[in-house]
Amino acid sequence: MDALQFLVQGLSVALEPLNLFFAFFGCLIGTLVGVLPGIGPISGVALLIPVTATLTSGLPTEQAATSSIILLAGVYYGAMYGGSTTAILINTPGENSSVCTTLDGYQMAKQGRAGAALAVCAIGSFAAGLIACIGLVFMAVPLAEFALKFSPAGQFSLMILGLCALSSLAGKSQIKAFIMTTLGLILSTVGVDPISGVARLTFGYSELYSGIEFLTMAVGMFALGEVFKTILTNDYATGELIKVGKVMPTRQDLKDSAVPILRGSLLGFFQGLIPGCGATLSSFMAYTVEKKLSKNKANFGKGAIEGVAAPEAANNGAAGGAMIPLLTLGIPGTGTTAVLMGALIMFNITPGPLLFQDHPQVAWGLIASMIVGNFMLLILNLPLVKVFAKVIETPPKYLIPGIVAISVFGVYAVQVSVFNLFLMIGSGLAAYYLAKNDYPIAPLVLSLILGPMIENNLRRAMNLYNGDYSMFVRDPISLIFLMIAVLWVAIPAVMKLRGKKVIVEEGV
Amino acid sequence: MNKTFDRYVSVVFLVLGVAIYIYSQTLTVSNVGIAIGPKALPSFLSVILIILSAVNLVVAIRSTTHDKKEEKLEYKKFLIILVSLVLYALLIEPLGYVITTFLFLLIGFQTMEKGKYLQSVIIAAAFAVGIYYFYVEVFLGVLPPLPF
Repeated sequence: MDALQFLVQGLSVALEPLNLFFAFFGCLIGTLVGVLPGIGPISGVALLIPVTATLTSGLPTEQAATSSIILLAGVYYGAMYGGSTTAILINTPGENSSVCTTLDGYQMAKQGRAGAALAVCAIGSFAAGLIACIGLVFMAVPLAEFALKFSPAGQFSLMILGLCALSSLAGKSQIKAFIMTTLGLILSTVGVDPISGVARLTFGYSELYSGIEFLTMAVGMFALGEVFKTILTNDYATGELIKVGKVMPTRQDLKDSAVPILRGSLLGFFQGLIPGCGATLSSFMAYTVEKKLSKNKANFGKGAIEGVAAPEAANNGAAGGAMIPLLTLGIPGTGTTAVLMGALIMFNITPGPLLFQDHPQVAWGLIASMIVGNFMLLILNLPLVKVFAKVIETPPKYLIPGIVAISVFGVYAVQVSVFNLFLMIGSGLAAYYLAKNDYPIAPLVLSLILGPMIENNLRRAMNLYNGDYSMFVRDPISLIFLMIAVLWVAIPAVMKLRGKKVIVEEGV
Repeated sequence: MNKTFDRYVSVVFLVLGVAIYIYSQTLTVSNVGIAIGPKALPSFLSVILIILSAVNLVVAIRSTTHDKKEEKLEYKKFLIILVSLVLYALLIEPLGYVITTFLFLLIGFQTMEKGKYLQSVIIAAAFAVGIYYFYVEVFLGVLPPLPF
């Protein structure tokens, strides 16, 4: 098998001592990020980009990129593990995708079965992570090779589809989401135009000639925006911490949760493939499915172990699944993968169909490290869950100013400019007020990243076709993408008009 | 949902869209050999922004749902932290990383919750000196040094 050969190569990269350490460090930080309320996977990844850039500064580019992305991805899926700990022990989800886990997890904890719930979460997360990795191994190359056949018109339409998909499901109002998408695209045009050399929308600020720095915006909007919200709403975890007790689940627990874990993993994985359907959405879906299929429906909401196992598996499956469109098509489907993509671009590596050809070390090293990382997380989480539970008690007094100080350090260390600090503060303020009024942040950051590529493909296509816009509907692949994009936007809108409730990916 | 905010922000975006449109028209470039010049995308996007914010404005005006009561927000804490953050950014270069970070953290800790002064001082100092030492001495990065 070709894929297995590549995987072995990837493993040799992932098992290098430095990368092994990075994967471990990423998983550890990720778990902490998941456990600590007030800091989610997006802000965690954004905050760690400057740290990894520093740690890898002496390495050659490709190696630096590999190690960094291994660490950052570790934070991403590690946070999915950690989020369940707070959900179960204090009834407060550590991040959005663990909302469902609170329903039955906290009830289990109240009945003295916290340990079993936590263990099932860890096992479910592990199984889902592994399933997602296997899917990644076998789907990545065929998908990337297929994507290479797209014409520039097709590539342009695919990006439009990605934007539409994320925007139509983000937040309560499609119009607001699209306003944010458009704003992000406009922001992405700031700077010197690479083709004509004209400075656009820079208003004389020389700091803006190279464009608005993605890292500054991501840290400002996600990390600072979240901190501002926490301070203003006084939203700290205040719940009483429940004792963990015995960690090992009973044989009956394992038997009850095996099938839900499998179902949740697969559901999450396939949902993760679809841009815009992130971890939150798939965990809700998995919970609903389990409730429908269960023989004792009455038990749900009162501490059913299936209600903990399935959503936790689903959110990890989705996190892994979301890596596929990111790596093979260059389309990030969630806020966190958008930030990961920004990080790769910072290292001069563009995710997309060519990634597997041009930088197999990065792609396969990452995939293999995700498998290794999932084992680490399982080992880390089962015995150490009591230690992580202690982390919940970190006083917000130190945590909140600490996050602000790390944001300032991160942005200043990478950009060395006070201008960027103010840009960060400004975007943090804007993000708080916008997000509070249902203007979602993720589409803005996503389109900020995709903007230059969209413009590039558009121009390439137009030069090729002599400015003939009809190519976008004459090229069959491009036409299909555009049609899906239209449907994607139209169907939720029609459903809303007919009074149906549409579940949206909240928060991110 | 806050309809007042929606109205204001729609008007702001509307004006922004018009401004960007006018601005993009002032970009002068020769379009020889380029099918799409640098001003095409900004102009197009600004039109989209104008349309979307106009729709959003209409939706906000026509909406009949009343604003929900503002929940009590901790404006005092927030403003203290925001002002110290702005000062932090302004002073980081003249005063250096260690001093400004230490002061910002100390103010931040005490704003969040008064008391435990010694502990606050120790944590703030350890953070500021620790990050500076590791970043500048070990990883040879650049942070503003002490002013003396």
